[in-house]
Amino acid sequence: MVAVALTLCIHGYGPSIAYASDPPEIVKSVCSTCHGIDGNSADPAYPKIAGMHEEYLTRQLSIFSLGERQNDQMTEIVAKLSPKDFAGLASYFSRQRSSPGKVGAAELAEKGRKIFEDGNVETGIPACAGCHQLDGKGNGRFPRLAGQHQTYVVKQLNEYRSGRRNTDPLMSTVGQRLTPEEIRAVAEFVAGL
Amino acid sequence: MKYCTLVAVAAASVSAFAAETTWNHAYPELMEALALAGNVENGERAFVVCQGCHRPMGLGRADGSYPRLAGQHANVIIKQVIDVQNGRRANIKMQPFADHANLSAQDVADIANYLQGIQAPSGQGVGPGTALALGRSMYATGCSTCHGQEGEGNAQKFYPRLAGQHYRYLLREVRMIRDGDRLNAHPDMVLAIRQFGDEELAAVSDYVSRISAASPPPDANTP
Repeated sequence: MVAVALTLCIHGYGPSIAYASDPPEIVKSVCSTCHGIDGNSADPAYPKIAGMHEEYLTRQLSIFSLGERQNDQMTEIVAKLSPKDFAGLASYFSRQRSSPGKVGAAELAEKGRKIFEDGNVETGIPACAGCHQLDGKGNGRFPRLAGQHQTYVVKQLNEYRSGRRNTDPLMSTVGQRLTPEEIRAVAEFVAGL
Repeated sequence: MKYCTLVAVAAASVSAFAAETTWNHAYPELMEALALAGNVENGERAFVVCQGCHRPMGLGRADGSYPRLAGQHANVIIKQVIDVQNGRRANIKMQPFADHANLSAQDVADIANYLQGIQAPSGQGVGPGTALALGRSMYATGCSTCHGQEGEGNAQKFYPRLAGQHYRYLLREVRMIRDGDRLNAHPDMVLAIRQFGDEELAAVSDYVSRISAASPPPDANTP
């Protein structure tokens, strides 16, 4: 009886969350702790990865594994995975639906919209929309930003700014040119996309 | 100074590439990019990193901040991007984005060929329209020899197409060229416009900005 119940649970026929498809074992035991079972993280320090492009996610796992991208937690976690698992994890999360973000400060978001759509011509910041698309959904090369946690976006832009993240020379330039206020504004705006 | 200019003029008229470190010297990075076959489809993909400033399809901005690139000769795009890459053309805003880390020589060739093939619509930013007669006569006497009667430029000689360009961008660049701030200006051009004041440059820029963007499109077969 227990064995049957367990089998049913493992195959996703158990109660609780509805997700697009059966999560791989690794998602259940490793990723979901921070990113949520469907990739919509509860804690804004951890990115939502639901609905991110498969190609982008695969590459992030790869560069964490190679040390080209650093993060204390991810580096340790990815080290325990096999690269053979990356594609399956990326595929799973790319097929999940991203939950809407929470927008607080409307005025700040409006400032962010101007930067997102027009950039800053004085300081030479390109419109984010150029790469990340007008709807913020991104593609395989440039990540989805739509609905992302403000805290996480601010963290990444600051990391590009400081050089702690150096995975994309274009973003390093963008990070260096953005002011702290612009960073907060853009983060507020994309949360609402 | 005058002697050097004479030498530069003589050299430039003999071939599109001057032998010395003068305008359009045939330096390695430029020659490498020019030798590559540009792929338009790849160029469209690669152009994504440019459109945050230059706008989709390279239409540029009427406020003059970023030029229209649509319909420009591939040769000209290649030369200007490579010149920006290595600081031969002064452009602090663009330089890090044009860096080799972001744009390979193949990317530059691809993007240039993509842009060359775009037929830009009209609707570029124009000037105030108050001195067009002056602008027209200035253009006829001073600019059309190199930039063409219709502002179509000259791909073989790397003279840019001006038709369809935004007024504010034209004005800014022509002033920088006059004042020696652009760094990669053709010495003939600097000579030609040296005596003009800002108002005269505004007049000719305004005239140029009103040349229809539907002027003869660039010849796709020019090297």
